[in-house]
Amino acid sequence: MNKVVTLDGLDIYQKNFQQILIRGDGRENFNKIIKENLSVSPPSKNLEVTNTDKYLFAKSSFDQWNLLYLEKQEYNNILINISKLNKVDEILATDYSYGQVYFEVIGKNKDQFLNKLTQFDLRPKKFPLNSMAQTLIARIECSIFNLKDKYIITCNRSFESYFIERLKDIASL
Amino acid sequence: MSSIENSNCNYITNKKIKIFFDGKSYDAFEGDTIASALIRNKIKLIGRSFKYHRPRGIYTCGIEEPNALVQILNEHNEPNTRATIKRVYDGINISSQNRWPSLAFDVGSINNLLSPIFSAGFYYKTFMGPRGFWKKIYEPLIRRTAGLGKPPNNFRSKSIHQNHNVDILIVGGGLSGLIAARKLIDTNYDVLLVEQDSYLGGILKNSNKVDSIDGKKTTDWINETEKLILKSNNIKILKNTLVTSYNFTNHLIALEDKFVGKKIDLDKSELILHKIRTTNTILANGHIERFISFRNNDLPGVMLASSFEKYIHRYGVVPEKNPVIFTNNSSTFSLVKSLIQQRCKPLAYIDARKKEDIEDELKDYLKNHDIQFFPEAEVEGCQGNKEVEKVRIRTNNSIISINSSMLCISGGLNPDIHLFTQSKGLVKWDEKIITFKPNTAFQNTITLGSVSGNYNFHKIFEEVEEKLSFLNINKYVAKIEINVEDDYSITELWETKNDKKSNWSKSFIDLHNDVTTKDLTQAIDEGYDRIEHLKRYTTNSMGTDQGKISSINSLGIVSKLLNKKISEIGTTTYRPPYAPLSFAAIAGRSTYEFYDPERKTPIHNWHVKNHAVFEDVGQWKRPWYYKKHEDETMHQAVQRESKQTRKTAGILDGSTLGKIEIKGKDALEFMNLMYTNAFTKMRPMTSRYALMLGEDGMIMDDGIICKISDKHFIATTTSSGAPKVLAHMEEFLQTEWPHLQVYLNSITEQFTTFNISGPKTREIISQIFTEIDFSNEKFPFMTFKSFNYKNTQVRIMRASFTGELGYEIYISPEHALELWETIFKHGKEFNLVPYGTETMHLLRAEKGYVVIGQETDGTVTPVDINFNWMIGKNKKDFIGKRSLKRSDTAREDRKQLVGVVPLDKSQLIDEGQHIVECENLPKQIKTPIEYLGHISSSYYSPNLNHCISMAMIKGGNKLIGKTLFVSTPSGIKNIPVEIVKPIFIDPENKRLIS
Repeated sequence: MNKVVTLDGLDIYQKNFQQILIRGDGRENFNKIIKENLSVSPPSKNLEVTNTDKYLFAKSSFDQWNLLYLEKQEYNNILINISKLNKVDEILATDYSYGQVYFEVIGKNKDQFLNKLTQFDLRPKKFPLNSMAQTLIARIECSIFNLKDKYIITCNRSFESYFIERLKDIASL
Repeated sequence: MSSIENSNCNYITNKKIKIFFDGKSYDAFEGDTIASALIRNKIKLIGRSFKYHRPRGIYTCGIEEPNALVQILNEHNEPNTRATIKRVYDGINISSQNRWPSLAFDVGSINNLLSPIFSAGFYYKTFMGPRGFWKKIYEPLIRRTAGLGKPPNNFRSKSIHQNHNVDILIVGGGLSGLIAARKLIDTNYDVLLVEQDSYLGGILKNSNKVDSIDGKKTTDWINETEKLILKSNNIKILKNTLVTSYNFTNHLIALEDKFVGKKIDLDKSELILHKIRTTNTILANGHIERFISFRNNDLPGVMLASSFEKYIHRYGVVPEKNPVIFTNNSSTFSLVKSLIQQRCKPLAYIDARKKEDIEDELKDYLKNHDIQFFPEAEVEGCQGNKEVEKVRIRTNNSIISINSSMLCISGGLNPDIHLFTQSKGLVKWDEKIITFKPNTAFQNTITLGSVSGNYNFHKIFEEVEEKLSFLNINKYVAKIEINVEDDYSITELWETKNDKKSNWSKSFIDLHNDVTTKDLTQAIDEGYDRIEHLKRYTTNSMGTDQGKISSINSLGIVSKLLNKKISEIGTTTYRPPYAPLSFAAIAGRSTYEFYDPERKTPIHNWHVKNHAVFEDVGQWKRPWYYKKHEDETMHQAVQRESKQTRKTAGILDGSTLGKIEIKGKDALEFMNLMYTNAFTKMRPMTSRYALMLGEDGMIMDDGIICKISDKHFIATTTSSGAPKVLAHMEEFLQTEWPHLQVYLNSITEQFTTFNISGPKTREIISQIFTEIDFSNEKFPFMTFKSFNYKNTQVRIMRASFTGELGYEIYISPEHALELWETIFKHGKEFNLVPYGTETMHLLRAEKGYVVIGQETDGTVTPVDINFNWMIGKNKKDFIGKRSLKRSDTAREDRKQLVGVVPLDKSQLIDEGQHIVECENLPKQIKTPIEYLGHISSSYYSPNLNHCISMAMIKGGNKLIGKTLFVSTPSGIKNIPVEIVKPIFIDPENKRLIS
């Protein structure tokens, strides 16, 4: 965990999570297979996030889910789980553990800070707790997950240094 | 410098500071603007006008200023700064503009005497001949003389953008804006109140028109309101922030100056561009006073009456103790009262209104204070050299001359409808207040107060209550006590009758662009009777002030000239921005290192350490070539890298290649439809080079398809084509073939890719992946294997883009650098080299492999590049199939891919050059020369020791063996070349499958 930015009322940490991208039809059988193999239930509403201290499961579009492990898992187990899921025709599971980078944003000034980098409406009435969105932050595609007292932001790994520099730059001004 | 004359003013402190104007030092007070500070120091001449270089002074007290534009030398030489809004600080260094050699003596003022030449439309009539004069005389001269200030110095702005999403935006923190805000305190609405000034209050602080609100002094009421707003949990205030644009969908742009009255800190953002998205917009941005055209109405000393009053109340400075006041409306009464309050007295009060229309209270007041009063009179003109010295008054058909150095004028009040019209709201002419006012909103826009044409203070609460009744607002009503007559009255007056004295005498309609009322007449005489044409022909209202104090006047004058009603003339379009915005503010942080987001591969730092020179491929930073030593040129590096790769081995960071995982029960059918190739008979765990076409049959992208099973594929794409290909696939799945059960995931970022090739490749990687048998038999060309390696998964595919024995290795980014370094460790004994994209291009050209986007340009079919073999002819359908049968795409004389070798093999051919049949170009081309095609790729091959090129030539396949000619960037002698097959090395594929 690296501290990227610290300001009055704002802290941003870079974190390492593991992630599985899952695609499927979201119907009963899909839910059953996911639950059997991963021991978690996929959220059913678009942009809904279910989470515990160990994982975050988000439905990022009508047929796509992101499963983020907030606690480190045995990597081999993740690969085994993916392999199990992919045995089923109507599911595509992809390991995305290292394809993205992850940032945890906390503090009372987090909305104001992020709105220097994104036009996304972060107000609770528009972006409720336990929901997610895909939007542009610092002009790159990101996902943002609204969890209790914090946001988790993910972007593609290739943008890692650019994104960190943008965060630090805005924090310095 | 005079002391603070009005101790009740709100804007300045007693702290004295030093400012510099044209090199001279002056005292000012903290809180002064440049204008108020110069007025305090009795300086009236501030600059020279745009065209005629006439002396100009301070005309207004705000954003509408057309004259007093200055250059701030210590702020990157910032030009065209409005002296009326720029707040001073200790040491600010200001310079006047558009004068030489000095402000007092400006050679350019000769233009004023030559003014008959510079009349309306002179731009379009002059500089026509002689022809040769344009480039050497006219253009340099125009460039030298055009513009007001000098361009700013190079500097790196740190302006940022701030986004807001709110329910209600209030533009303007004046009386009506504050009342609206009070009604919204602690409601469920998120509210943003934006005020261009440093203080809330607007007219309450600019004049003494309002005496008390809710029984409290106006300043106390403002402070109370501000405190309540700040205490609330739903309203935010932005001060020093000017709303400049009102776009569609209630999206507004506002600019905040973070260094008002302070020296700019170069490490901080000097400007914040606020991007506001709101559900409802309340425009409470007030009104702007307009002027009147009369002879020499531009002289320093002529000032708008309300501005004069603002200087008294805001900055505590009285610009002139005994000015003359000239008006056509009732609003100037408060100025008279303000002056009397300061123990000053106007020399004369000239009112164009009929005597019976003038308020009794005003008449009594003037009489009681023994002020000369001229009802039903007007100012004929002003006289003076560099400032007003005499004011000539026409009354009862005679002229009276009064010696005065200041004339305060008011031609009426215009609701500030710029933002309203930007929002596409419709305005309507109001005969009572003689101006346009908002009529029908196009968006969720509410206008309050004087911007809506309501100049009656007593009706403000009623208006706010009524217009905000659709919201769930607080009940708040208060009593307003005013100092002046509440009913606004005005008579129409655009220009006074004047006696022309000389060429120097002019009656201006646009002070900023030096447009006179005579120019309007001339333009109409010449047929420019449409207001939009007239505006452009005369440049009226086209300055940086956008004619804020005069555009309605020009409509009035034009309506008289055309004998039409103003409502029939219409308005010109007010376009954003309301006031000039700097490019730095618009760009924000998207400049320099953040100009475009950068993508880096997981081993980018290794490349940097190893002296890679990078190339931008889309947003990716890719190693272009690696410098072995400081003096090595790109050519030398590329020759070295390619030679070594063919000799032993080379490795490329191919992580940028797009990768897409495709799975589902209908994946095979989907792939057959997306690509030209047939995948049905393809064996699992094999791979195939594949082409993707657009619906027009033209090549869109290429890549290698790995077939895991009939239901599971992995496709690679070009680096820059990855997002486009994924979107293309998704679009067809979701719109054309929703019945197919197929899912796609981009895995570009999850897999780092290395392309290792060369005769020693097998030996190198066998030492790393010891459990894998890399023999030809066990691991033949175009097959792949997946296996575990150090607690992660690796996929290795035997494929090559160089024509040598090669493998593509896919591994997670987490383990990529470690593997890359391991490969180098084992490759050391074989002199393994890293190579960049330039060497990659050279190696593939030697082998005759095409690059999508280089050999192709969106007009090339697979047949054109001899890829007939890649078209699954027995396939029922694929995207682009029908288009390949069109007569145009089936033509035999289409441009086709060929190889080109110069007859003099050492001669290098430039990419992009034309291929022709003639050996020499004529000195003068009289008839078009037939163009056969162009060179798409060209290199010096170190492995063949001669130049090689690839080209797209009409009917190229039939020209193999012929001699043609290639043009050069300079000269008329073409290069003789032989057309050959486009494969230069290993046509038998011996190296490839070795």
